[in-house]
Amino acid sequence: MKIFDIINNNKTYIKIFKKSYPYIIGAILLSIFQIINFSVTGNPWGVSGVLANWGAWILEMFGGNFNNWYYFQEVNIDLDYGSSFLNSPVSIRNFGILVGALFSTLAASEFKFKKPKNGRQILGAVIGGLLMGYGARIAFGCNIGALYSGISTLSLSGWIYGIFMFLGAVIGSKMLMKFFI
Amino acid sequence: MNENNEHSKNEINKNKYIIKNQTPYAAGILIISLIFAIYLHKKSFDLAFYWGIGLCFGFVLQKSRFCFTASFRDPYLTGSTILTRAVLIAFALTSIGFTIIKYINITQGNPVPGMDYVVPISLATALGAFTFGIGMVISGGCASGTFMRIGEGFQLQVITLIFFIVGSLWGARDYQWWEENFISQGIKIYLPDIFGLFGGLVANLIIIILIYILAKKWEDKKM
Repeated sequence: MKIFDIINNNKTYIKIFKKSYPYIIGAILLSIFQIINFSVTGNPWGVSGVLANWGAWILEMFGGNFNNWYYFQEVNIDLDYGSSFLNSPVSIRNFGILVGALFSTLAASEFKFKKPKNGRQILGAVIGGLLMGYGARIAFGCNIGALYSGISTLSLSGWIYGIFMFLGAVIGSKMLMKFFI
Repeated sequence: MNENNEHSKNEINKNKYIIKNQTPYAAGILIISLIFAIYLHKKSFDLAFYWGIGLCFGFVLQKSRFCFTASFRDPYLTGSTILTRAVLIAFALTSIGFTIIKYINITQGNPVPGMDYVVPISLATALGAFTFGIGMVISGGCASGTFMRIGEGFQLQVITLIFFIVGSLWGARDYQWWEENFISQGIKIYLPDIFGLFGGLVANLIIIILIYILAKKWEDKKM
């Protein structure tokens, strides 16, 4: 349709939707959304906490039962256990990250399905995913909840998290170059 | 001649593919997102708000190529710290905003929001963050990055997400052991408890500025 070609060549559209933003603009906008999120919900942004629930919900469909798990009874009580994906705000926010990025990629006409390069990369995704999931559960969160939000709420735990996440990233880089490329 | 024609035809097709306009699909996603927002709003305001803010986070992460993994990996791998410094700026701005919101809540006599994120520091923090750091580098994406990359069309991150979920459940199963042995002995340190609310913010900003300077010097030395 012609209208979309006109939109696509519009100067403002190109500026907002087609060109990448400088990192500093990303930092400012993320901060603004973090602050809005904090003032409206009373909690900072977190991503990984609800993923254990996703696992539990999926396994429950196949007869799994997690009612006697200490974690779901004592720790993760706020995070909608016993609920479902469509009634879980944090799950919906995670899905929003995915769709927001999809929209952004399409608006720039850059969307393409990208296949994994090789088996090593897939192995890296499997092991890396497991390590991130396990690590986030015992350290109260991921790069967003424990690190970004932890530091921003003035908790020293965020800085400790950052130091050890950096050490992990260094070891991970060595492993990446040796085994996964 | 014929061959030439064939060649230029291919060239045109190739160009057509590259400049193919995906704006209609973006418009479609936008409309579906709005309808979904209305559906969620009927259930609760909260759900619709989380949906909207999630879209904003995803859009900005993608648009600015904001990658926490690269910000922690590149200083070691390439010596570049430009993303590291952008992340530090985000920490600084967000902590200023959060502190103002806390101050407003305190003056209104409300409880301080966000205190659930002040968590005990123990060996579990160090080990968990360390394994998380390894995981995000070898899988090529952190938690937010994994969702963003799936949206960009990467199939690899679908695998990462599946195993992130498996790992989360595994960690949840073992959580009690970690709590009994380590987390219960950990200490919560909230900077305002030591320095006062604004003193705590200043302490946080001083740490950020020091790391920022260090990162800049590191890059100048390495690149």
